[in-house]
Amino acid sequence: MALIQEISELLQKGKAKNVKQLVQQALDENMDPKEILNDGLLSGMMTIGAKFKNNEVFVPEVLVAARAMNAGLTVLEPKLIEIGNEPAGKAVIGTVQGDLHDIGKNLVSMMLKGAGFEIHDLGVDVEPDVFIDKAEEIGADVICMSALLTTTMPKMQECIDRMKQRGVRDKYIVMIGGAPVNESFAQQIGADYYTADAASAAEVAKAAVQKTRGKTL
Amino acid sequence: MKLTEFDIRISKENVCRLIQANPDSSMYQEIMAELQEMLPAAYEKLEPTALLEFGDFEAYADMIEEEGIEEALYGIITVGEEIGSWSTQLFREGNYLGGMLADAIADDCLYQMDEAISEAAIGMCRERQRGIVRRLEAPVDIPMSIQKKAYDITDAGRQAGIEIKGSYMYSPVKTVCQVYILDKDTTRYHAEHDCGRCENATCKMRNISVVTITVKSGKGEQKIRGRKKDTLLESLRANNLFLPAVCAGRGVCGKCRVRVLKGEVPATETDLRFFSQQEIEEGYRLACRSYPESDCTILTQDGEAEGFYVEAPEKDAESLLPDTEKAYGIAADIGTTTVAMQLVELQTGKTADVYTTVNRQRAYGADVISRIEAAGRGGKEAMTGIIREILQEGIEALSVNGTILIRQMVIGGNTTMIHLLMGYFCETLGVYPFRPVNIETIHTTDKELFGKQEKHLDVTVCPGISTFVGGDIVAGLYALDFQKREKVCVLIDLGTNGELAIGNKERILTTSTAAGPAFEGGNILCGMGSVPGAICKVEIREGKAQIRTIGDAKARGICGTGVIDCVYELVGEGIVDETGLMEEPYFETGFPLSEDGQIRFCQKDVREFQLAKSAVRAGLETLILRYGISWEEIDKVYVAGGFGHKMDIHKAVGIGLFPAFCEEKVEAVGNTCLQGAVKYLTQKDASEAVERLVEVSEEIGLSGDKNFQEFYMENMYFL
Repeated sequence: MALIQEISELLQKGKAKNVKQLVQQALDENMDPKEILNDGLLSGMMTIGAKFKNNEVFVPEVLVAARAMNAGLTVLEPKLIEIGNEPAGKAVIGTVQGDLHDIGKNLVSMMLKGAGFEIHDLGVDVEPDVFIDKAEEIGADVICMSALLTTTMPKMQECIDRMKQRGVRDKYIVMIGGAPVNESFAQQIGADYYTADAASAAEVAKAAVQKTRGKTL
Repeated sequence: MKLTEFDIRISKENVCRLIQANPDSSMYQEIMAELQEMLPAAYEKLEPTALLEFGDFEAYADMIEEEGIEEALYGIITVGEEIGSWSTQLFREGNYLGGMLADAIADDCLYQMDEAISEAAIGMCRERQRGIVRRLEAPVDIPMSIQKKAYDITDAGRQAGIEIKGSYMYSPVKTVCQVYILDKDTTRYHAEHDCGRCENATCKMRNISVVTITVKSGKGEQKIRGRKKDTLLESLRANNLFLPAVCAGRGVCGKCRVRVLKGEVPATETDLRFFSQQEIEEGYRLACRSYPESDCTILTQDGEAEGFYVEAPEKDAESLLPDTEKAYGIAADIGTTTVAMQLVELQTGKTADVYTTVNRQRAYGADVISRIEAAGRGGKEAMTGIIREILQEGIEALSVNGTILIRQMVIGGNTTMIHLLMGYFCETLGVYPFRPVNIETIHTTDKELFGKQEKHLDVTVCPGISTFVGGDIVAGLYALDFQKREKVCVLIDLGTNGELAIGNKERILTTSTAAGPAFEGGNILCGMGSVPGAICKVEIREGKAQIRTIGDAKARGICGTGVIDCVYELVGEGIVDETGLMEEPYFETGFPLSEDGQIRFCQKDVREFQLAKSAVRAGLETLILRYGISWEEIDKVYVAGGFGHKMDIHKAVGIGLFPAFCEEKVEAVGNTCLQGAVKYLTQKDASEAVERLVEVSEEIGLSGDKNFQEFYMENMYFL
């Protein structure tokens, strides 16, 4: 137990090497990989994400912590697959067609991973159908779209319309983000959620997936 | 033109700032070390290239506020493909910090190129004999499609291998567009990027120059965006927060003091002069001199803008609520400090309502000279906007949101105020031979002034006599019926500009003296406007000051009437000698007025006051001399202005503002400009009468006048 706590704390300090070592040690001690993931890595990320939202830490601290998480995951992931661990959710993410900005999208991707999501990052300049095809292929819970330009925002609408045409709109939680985007735009185009920062995006996505699953159960 | 030679030196500090890595973070050293490791590879990957070409602006000319722009200089700047891909790759590998750093390095490179490119752009424009009006930013100032225009003009595809998307975005991602709009005025090259106009809040560059300033005051808290290259005062002003800046931000008057509660705002030399070491440590700064280096929280002094004493009449007691059946007019006095408007029933001349407010242009300086200077530095449009907005607010309020019928408005104001109102070019007002653009009667409409035609309001602006003696004085002369007077009278406006007029219906001589703002509490260490808490009465008993303040509030400073009282008492008690010298122990520290000694009247204040009163008195003496008359022959001396109204005439005589034997002739008459404007609204022959006044009036200049110089020296002392 103490070991897991330590993983979480070292992760928050961004000690990638130590986190990796301790995850290995925990596995060697036959601890439950799920527990290592949820109470060690993900709880560490959750704490740092909350601190970020409270302005207690800034982006670099989150980046470094996430990198430590990633280091731990490289060790842990094979075990998780082995035991058939279900991720918190599956997300398809990308920057919309015509838009090449990827930093914001990358940060959301990172935070989603930190919330226990399985991420399928389609990169930038992603056509509407590519989002949908990928979501269908992997059985995604969430589709996340990013746009940084007023000229590319309409692509979000296009993607949602396309989902409706293909009769799959209700299968997915659609989240949007990016500088020119806001809550009312989200409502206007029929997206499910807008979030202003990456940490909130992860929180909202997690809660939304839990809610949907609760319904379907 | 294609530029590929750039002296790029990535600033680790900037990169850290871009990703918000603060020096006090426990990870700072680690991040710096990692950055250091990345730099050699980063330099390899950076391929800075810039293209600059002139092109037409036809398709966009109607989309910007400036008129008549035909040409632009288009630029495309890129750091190449590799650095961006590197960032993406690092993110993919889970090296989020590395990815972010690579991205920030690219941004820092763009930022550094910007300066060199601006310089090149200015050079190109000089050669072509074009000035740079400003730099446009898409999509804030101009649609994104301008990026396509820039792409075509610079031939960026062939020249730099750049692609453009249907969304007008360039590939590689770290490529930006610049558009400089040009005209033939080669006196200015505003080539710099203006983050203040840019709405791209996630722009990383913005972090370099933009800070969030949290402004706390008695009214609460507000967050504004400021720029590091702007002073706190400028940033506040840009966000419609107006601190008094009597000296127009020259670091002289000390009125714009703020207290920095949080954040880095280094103390300047000026601060060291104004504040004690302890005050500096407590965060006191002059907003006009301080540049924020980080996000910060500042505390501003309260209230100066709120309770300015504005001289305007009360409503007529018998007049009820404005009547929708009757026709009304509005008289307006645009003062340098305050604006007063009066709703008048046209048929009866009764005052139905009054609207007064502070002239928010004050943030650009307390006196007309500083406003003229500010107009020359690019503040003209803003000041024109401010005064028009104030008038519209007043019209809205007085017309009860448009429910009553207002037919006419008559405006009086000094020449500078009218120039700013009309949006005239102001620079000739400030330089010899001080020519105004137009001082004749102006007939205009609300549509022309405010751009909307809701009320069909005819607007008349009173004519002026010169750059220095404006329509406010003409309105004042009209209010006092100078056009009918047989006997010679004098009108003094004791404001900052110190206008003087002497004469009768046959002939009027006018002048203005640079009295300075001392009579309004300006340029006085603890001086302030006539607001609650301002000391307005001073008596010295047994070496101690007994004071009264406006509203009997806690003393916060001293206003004009208090200044006269104070000087009168100090001289009377022998604390200040007849030459104006303050005796020890007050010479160094000043004479304490408030019990805690915080509010003081110091040697410099005495000197400031001496200059002001001597200027007014010498101006009067010179006018009288030139008019060929003596004090004895003068019938009346009218003192106008809100300040004059409450002035203790006995004390004003005592300190030598008027000759002692004239005390009976002096009369305080309040806001004569507003009175004149009201009269203009209600008298049929007003237009001719006012024209007649202007015709018989003549201005004399004092600056080269020998007699004035002599009078000036003579009246400096307290005899």
